[in-house]
Amino acid sequence: MRLALAVGYLGAVWMDAAGVRAVGRALPAPVRFFTQIAELFPRAAEDAIEWRVKGWLCDRRQFDEIDVRPFFPIRANDKENRFHRGMFFYSREARVLRELDAYIVASQNRSRPGQRIGGVMILSLRIPIPPPGVADPRYERKPLSAYPATLARRYWYVTGSAAREQRCQERS
Amino acid sequence: MTGGSGRRRAPSDTGGTAAPHERGQAGPRRPEIGSSRRAADWLFGPQPVERLVLLRIVVPVAVLAFLSSRMIHADEWLTSKGFHPPDLGGGDWRQPLYLPPVPSWAAWAIVAATAIAGISLAVGFHPRKAAGAFAALTVYLVLADRLEAFTVSKAAPVLSLALSASPCGVRFGIDAWRRSRRASPGALPPTEQVSGGAVRFFQAFLLVMYSGSGIAKARGDWLSGDVLWSHLHDDYQTAVGWQVMNALPAVGWRILQAITLGFELGAPLWFTLPWTRTAALVVGLGMHLMIALMFGPVVWFALLMGGMLIACYAPRTLLVRAFARHSESRHA
Repeated sequence: MRLALAVGYLGAVWMDAAGVRAVGRALPAPVRFFTQIAELFPRAAEDAIEWRVKGWLCDRRQFDEIDVRPFFPIRANDKENRFHRGMFFYSREARVLRELDAYIVASQNRSRPGQRIGGVMILSLRIPIPPPGVADPRYERKPLSAYPATLARRYWYVTGSAAREQRCQERS
Repeated sequence: MTGGSGRRRAPSDTGGTAAPHERGQAGPRRPEIGSSRRAADWLFGPQPVERLVLLRIVVPVAVLAFLSSRMIHADEWLTSKGFHPPDLGGGDWRQPLYLPPVPSWAAWAIVAATAIAGISLAVGFHPRKAAGAFAALTVYLVLADRLEAFTVSKAAPVLSLALSASPCGVRFGIDAWRRSRRASPGALPPTEQVSGGAVRFFQAFLLVMYSGSGIAKARGDWLSGDVLWSHLHDDYQTAVGWQVMNALPAVGWRILQAITLGFELGAPLWFTLPWTRTAALVVGLGMHLMIALMFGPVVWFALLMGGMLIACYAPRTLLVRAFARHSESRHA
């Protein structure tokens, strides 16, 4: 029995990585999840992706970048943090983006009451990767304003104006 | 995942079933035996206890090290205080099972229990029970939160289950030390070999990981793209990674990429053939060292794989020598 389980598990891991999905699809999703471990970095990154947030500042009535890293303290400074992972998996999932919106607004208004926001704009930056062998400066996180306006940006979510107004009128 | 009891070295234990580089002198010709029997002998034949003990140490230590940056934020990780995707209603590949956030006390109890189980396993204190508990807890941690599930934590439950089904506590741990303290002066010497099923499972696991990953890479961009180079330009980049990135010419990256792909695709061959095994071990460890030094948070994955690689494929003499100074018999 143990031998059969071991062979089945190893076979499922190997087939999933090798692109043979039929066996995996036959497994219950929670079981299959544990077999999806060997497909590691198969693709080249086209650009370095950074996820950023602009908050709708209630007092100035405009969007400006807010640093959300303190609201996602697990591995806050790299792409294993929950905000990056959330956007990596769910950038097209409206239900998750709405939850993320509510979470960021609540966190910002609780921790920075002098800079209340009514909503968010979530965007990604696509920072070009130079060709191999070309010297590149050390990676550092820069504010959005430090990047040229020509840098590719994609907007994934914006809180509706009615919701922004309503939240700005609420007191914490 | 095929365990068995520990055993003391017997003359027959070293013949045929041990890895070729561990064989002693050939004995008298054996009677012909069937292929299924030979396969069973190969699978369950004796292995040096040091391999299993090193696996018992490496697996929980690497997994706990990976989890530690999550564990210190248990509230953010497992309770509604942190951000959690809502229930997507099943059938979503990103959420294999929805488990709602737990209260704060439960979150801290779970991470404390995980730490205790992992440490108990590593130090050989009731290791089989600890491994079972560690497996169950890591199953929960992985399913409870997709955002913090990575290869290290997703592999942890099965690796721990394999340890729980093995005699991994027979030597070099608290239980073994306590047994040696109670032993009478005429007692048998400490176990030197164990039934090999669990070690064979870990050896096969590594080959499956490497060859599966190699095939995925070959089907992806590794034959034509600049994959290694491209992944060094974001916040995974370490100081060492940046230095190497700027020092290595373009062709160097292609060569490194080719070595990695060749190593992974051919791993079943490299580690099966006795005359390529040591070279493969060196290349594999070099690859994991490079990952650890250049790709920031991936260091724990590198530690897990590199540690298992040493435990599974390092020459027996090296392992025995490394463990010799910690033998319980010195304290008996």
